[in-house]
Amino acid sequence: METVSELFRTLNTTYGFDLSIFYDSYDADLFTRGMYFTALLSAASVFGSLFLGVIGAYLQFNGGVVARKFVSAYIQVFRNTPPLIQLYFFFFSLGPSLTSATGMSEPILSNVAWAIVSLTLYAGAFNIEVFRSGVEAVPAATIEAADSLGLSKRQTFLQIILPLAFRISLPGLNNNLVNLIKTTTNAYAIAVPELLYGASQVWSDKLNALEMMIVLLIVYTAVIGLFTWMMGCIERNLAVPGWGRA
Amino acid sequence: MKKSFTFLVALAILTIGGYAHAQSVVLDRIKKAGTIRVGVKTDFPPFGFLNPAGQVIGLEPDMAQDVAKRLGVKLELVPVQSSNRIEFLQQGRIDLMIATLGVNDQRRKVLGYIEPFYYAGGTSLLVRKDAGIKRWEDIKGRDICATQGASYNRLTTQKYGPNLVAFPGNTEALNALLTGSCIGFLQDSTLHASMLSMDASKWAAFETPLPVEDFQPWGIAVALDELGTAYGDQMRQIVTEWHRSGYLLSMEKQWALKPSEFLKDMQARAIKAR
Amino acid sequence: MNNQANWRCKVLMRFGLAIVIVLALSEAHATSQESWIDEIAPLWKWMPLLLKGFLVDVGISIAAMLIGTAFGAIIGVGQTLFKGIIRIFCLGLTQFFRNAPWLVLLFFCILLIPHQITVFDWVIPFPPWMKGIIGLALPVMGNVSEVVRGGLISIPSAQWEAADALALNKWQTLRIVILPQALKRMLPPWMNVYAVLIMATPLVSIVGVEDSVTVARSVLSAEGNTALLMPVYGLLLILFYAYCAPIARLARFLEVRYAVK
Repeated sequence: METVSELFRTLNTTYGFDLSIFYDSYDADLFTRGMYFTALLSAASVFGSLFLGVIGAYLQFNGGVVARKFVSAYIQVFRNTPPLIQLYFFFFSLGPSLTSATGMSEPILSNVAWAIVSLTLYAGAFNIEVFRSGVEAVPAATIEAADSLGLSKRQTFLQIILPLAFRISLPGLNNNLVNLIKTTTNAYAIAVPELLYGASQVWSDKLNALEMMIVLLIVYTAVIGLFTWMMGCIERNLAVPGWGRA
Repeated sequence: MKKSFTFLVALAILTIGGYAHAQSVVLDRIKKAGTIRVGVKTDFPPFGFLNPAGQVIGLEPDMAQDVAKRLGVKLELVPVQSSNRIEFLQQGRIDLMIATLGVNDQRRKVLGYIEPFYYAGGTSLLVRKDAGIKRWEDIKGRDICATQGASYNRLTTQKYGPNLVAFPGNTEALNALLTGSCIGFLQDSTLHASMLSMDASKWAAFETPLPVEDFQPWGIAVALDELGTAYGDQMRQIVTEWHRSGYLLSMEKQWALKPSEFLKDMQARAIKAR
Repeated sequence: MNNQANWRCKVLMRFGLAIVIVLALSEAHATSQESWIDEIAPLWKWMPLLLKGFLVDVGISIAAMLIGTAFGAIIGVGQTLFKGIIRIFCLGLTQFFRNAPWLVLLFFCILLIPHQITVFDWVIPFPPWMKGIIGLALPVMGNVSEVVRGGLISIPSAQWEAADALALNKWQTLRIVILPQALKRMLPPWMNVYAVLIMATPLVSIVGVEDSVTVARSVLSAEGNTALLMPVYGLLLILFYAYCAPIARLARFLEVRYAVK
C-alpha cells in the first residue's frame, strides 16, 4: 500500500497528474465515503422504487376508482417534473413544513433520507409504468384460468401475474434502474456526501478537476456496467422458456 | 575597442529588454474589446449580492467599477461561485476576479494574486444559541453547514472533526441552517457580521460565540501568466492606490462593514512606502 | 367536441389543484405574524425573471436535442450498419454516454472546455450556457443512437433483401426503403429522450449556468424569507409540468398511432 501511494505521489510531482485520492488519506476518506453513500442511495431507492412499482401496478390492476386516479396522478406528477426540483422541493420546502407542522425542533428527515425519499418516488413512477405494461402483457387466458381455479384477485396478482410480469418487464426495469443510479448524483445539490460530492471536495481543494472527473467517469461506467451485467444474469436465469426472445 | 563597445550596447539592450515587462495578452484584449470582465459573488452580502432588479451590487462590484474607470473601459460583471471562480479565471472567462478569494499556497500555484491584498477575513461559525457550542472543539461530530469550494472547509474539518455538509451556494447553506438541518454555518467572519447586522430579527436565535480563526487575507486575482505583465503591474498600482487614498476604508464604511484593523494597517503601510 | 371539452376541463382542474396545494402548504409554513398573502406578494415582482429563466431552460434543451440528435443519428447508423472498428467505436461511444451520469458530464464540460478556442484567426467563444448545451447533448447523443439502433433493427430483414433484389445499394436502400419506415418507429422513443432531457436541464444550474433554478436561488437569497421556498419551487414544478405533460401525451399518442401491428 505504501508503494502505491508513493507511486501516485511521484505521478503528481513529475507529471502533474494529481490523483490525490490515492496518496492523501483525507481525500481517500472523502472518496470512500462517497462510494458508500452512492451505494446506499442506489440500493435504498432501487428497492424502494421496486416496492412502489409493485404496489402501484397492483392498485392499477385491482384498485378502486380513487386508488387508480391517485396512482395515475402520482405518475403524472413525478414523470413530468424535473427530479432536481423535486429534490429541492422535498428538502427545502416540504421538509421544514412538516417539521414545523409536527412541532419538532430537529428536522424529521436528514438530507440523505430526503434524497432517498425523492429518488424512490421519482423512480417508482417509472417502475409503475413498466410493471403496468408487463401486467398487461400477461395473456388474458392465463388470468381467466386463475380465476376459474377460484383464486382471488389478490392471489392471482401475487402468484400468477407478478412473477410473469416481472420477467417480462426486466429490460424496461433495467433501463429505469440504471437511470436511477445515474440520478443519485443529483443528491450533490443537497450536500449528500455521495461520490460526486466527494470528488468535488477533493478538486476544489487540490484543483485537480480533470483527474477527478476521469476517475468519476470510470467508476460510474464500472458500477453501471456491473449492474447491467447482474441484471443480464437475472434476466437469463428467470427467462421463461418459449417466451419473448428466449 | 569597437567590438567590446557593441558587446556592451548589446548587453545593455538585453538587460533593459529583460526588465521591460512582458506584453499582456489580457490587457490587449481588454483594450481592444473596450470591456473588462470581472468575476464577482452574488450571494455574499455586502461584498456581492443581487437587488430586486436582478443587478449585482456590493463592495466588490464597486471596486470592479473603479478598476474599469481607471482602465478607461466598460465593466462586465460575471457572477461566480466559490466552486467555479478559479476555473473561470483559468479558462479566461473572466479577466479579473474580485470574489472574496482567500489567499493560500495551493491557489498561488494556479492563479496570480495581486499584492497588496485588499481585505482579510477569518473562519467563523454562526451557530444556534441552544446548541451549546462554547469552543471550536465542541463542534466535533456535529452537523455544520458550509459552502462548497471554501478554503477553510478542509482545514476546519481536519482540526476539529465536525460533520461538514457543504452546499453548492451560500443560499442553500443558509436555508438548511434556518430549517434545522445543521446547527451551524461555517463561513467567513465578514459574511456573518453583515448577515447579523442586516437582518437581526431573522438571526435572533443564532450567535457567533467562537473566536475568529485562521485569519486569511483576500486577494484580487488575475491569470497566473499575467502576474508579471503590464496588466499585473497596473492592477498592483490600483490596489496600492486604493489603500493609500483610503478608498477601501471609505467603501468599508459605505457598505456598513465593521471597521477592520487590517485596512487601517494596510493604509499606514502604503503611505509609509511612498 | 365533447372529448376536447372534457380534456380541457381535466387540465384546468389539475392546475387548479396544483396551485391550491402549493398555496395551502405555503400557508402552513408561513410565519404567524403576517398573512401568507403578504408573504407571497413579493414573488409577483420576481415573476418575469423566473419566467425568463424557464425559457432559458427550454432553449437549452431544444439546442441540446438538435445537436444530440444529429450526432446520435450518425453514431446510431454507425453502430448498426457498419462492421469492424467503426461499429465497435460507435458502440463504445453509445454505451459510454448512456451510462455516464448527466451531472458528471455537465461538470466535465463546464470545467474542462476552455472559455474560447482560437482556430486560425477566428475566436470561438464558449459561454457557460453553450458548455451546458454541449454537456447535455452528449447523453442525448448516446440515447438517440440507441433509439436509432432500435428503429433500424426493428425493420424486418426481408425489406433489406427485397431492396437488394431490386439492385439498390446500401445507401439507396436506407434512404428509400428503410428510413421512412424506421423514422415512424423512432419517433415516440425519441420524444421520450426529449422528455428525459428537459427533466435533466435544471442540472445546469449546479454548474453555473443562469437558468430558472439559479434565478429561484437568487430570488430566495434576495428576499431571505423561508415562507417563499414552497411557492417558488412549487411554481417551477408547475411550469415544467405544464411544458412536459403535453409532450408526454403526444409521445404516447404517437406510440399508439404508429404501433406496429
